[in-house]
Amino acid sequence: MLEKRKKYLQIALNGTLSDARRIVASLPPSQNILIEAGTPLLKEQGAQAIQAIRSLAPDAYIVADTKCADLADRIVEMISQNQPKSTSLAGPLAQQNSFLEITKKTAGQIETIQKTGQPNPAFPTTLGGANAATVLGVAPVETINLFIEECKIRQIDSMVDMMNVGNPLSVLKKLKTPPDVVILHRGVDETEFSRDKLIPYYQIKQIKGNFNVLVSVAGGDTIRDVQSAFFNDADIVVVWKNFYQADQDTARLAADFLKEVK
Amino acid sequence: MSLLNTRSKYLQIAFNRSLDEVKEMVTLLPPSPKIIIEAGTPLIVRYGNKAISDLNYWWAKIIGRPSYIVADLKTMDRGSTEVRNAALSGASAATCLGLAPIETIDEFIKNCQTQRIDSMIDMMNVPFPFEVLQKINKQPDIVVLHRGVDEHSLNREKQIPLDQITRIKGAYGNVLISVAGGETTREVVSDFFNGADIAVIWRSFYESPKNTAALASDFLKLIK
Repeated sequence: MLEKRKKYLQIALNGTLSDARRIVASLPPSQNILIEAGTPLLKEQGAQAIQAIRSLAPDAYIVADTKCADLADRIVEMISQNQPKSTSLAGPLAQQNSFLEITKKTAGQIETIQKTGQPNPAFPTTLGGANAATVLGVAPVETINLFIEECKIRQIDSMVDMMNVGNPLSVLKKLKTPPDVVILHRGVDETEFSRDKLIPYYQIKQIKGNFNVLVSVAGGDTIRDVQSAFFNDADIVVVWKNFYQADQDTARLAADFLKEVK
Repeated sequence: MSLLNTRSKYLQIAFNRSLDEVKEMVTLLPPSPKIIIEAGTPLIVRYGNKAISDLNYWWAKIIGRPSYIVADLKTMDRGSTEVRNAALSGASAATCLGLAPIETIDEFIKNCQTQRIDSMIDMMNVPFPFEVLQKINKQPDIVVLHRGVDEHSLNREKQIPLDQITRIKGAYGNVLISVAGGETTREVVSDFFNGADIAVIWRSFYESPKNTAALASDFLKLIK
């Protein structure tokens, strides 16, 4: 789980799986760097994208950008569990057995939480798969509530993506419990085709003043955007342009960022 | 123009279980060209494009002709990348959220045309679908209306009145209408009676996969 008062750089991987592998391999190891399996990557490769990242960076905090709009429980289930039958993972038997083991423990853990409301320390706290998933703020309130609840049960962070939401506060006020993270977002298509749409930085303080959540800002792609987001009190900044294809700036941008947060 | 026959009615079955189970379910279906197979969003998130290409392969083998597979992408951003990948995997149609930024919807429809697949705009949680249709540059091939809040919970207070179907068809002649959220035979009958071209169902199949064959033929009887 993420800590308050820390700053995080979230690196979105949207290209091919091999691009993703190259980028992950070039990142400096740091707890301040979050890795995102972007929506196009997820939809192309499925949950094996998360497992591929996990195999390269076992301790990484991985965000699955599911952009869930309905069937919240199924979606969360799909990305938060290692599934032994995955064809992509049909490797050595030992590996399959360990996945089976994890799945069994996961099921046990979920049952314990549902019964007692508390996780059983005998089971692993990370359930394999992703550490966080995203749901759309424009989705029906019922879906967002179910999503947050399901994330709690499976012990991953819930992130509500406010893309195309005029007033994020009004969405948050309708929820049963607030999510762990709120994402303020300017979409890629919006940025591309109407350059005058800005990231509403003033909303960061508004949201943090009213709810006990972390705020993530997505939609900037220069080092300047990253700086101004942090300056405006964002906890997480999501970047992707420089990371879309593995380019030599990858490691440098991450290193520059790490220098700043220290 | 849609790839579908505009004078025919279709039953769209969405699959959301694991791929192994889905394979079994698909093989139980009666080989009818009136059935449209949907790779549900959870299935795509779990298996990626493989879900689409597998469904395409299985269903084409059963019906003995090119199959019509809907990739329920629910695109919210990056209209181009997702459409291209789905089309390359054998999808005949893809969905974009009506809640997405207008720029995304426009880009999505344009890319569907380039890839020669049908564009479906999913109006889930959109209070006035007409407003969205008025703002976009080109009309999609298919508009998806929801009876409930989302595919999961049915909130009767939020039901979309079925008279919207004829209104949309009256204003935009060539658009086909798909209705999601009617899960009983009775609701599907009323969807078609009110002018829907496609009825989307999933719940009964999801809940009792073993009954797939019987369920499908029950629903198919409703389509003339």
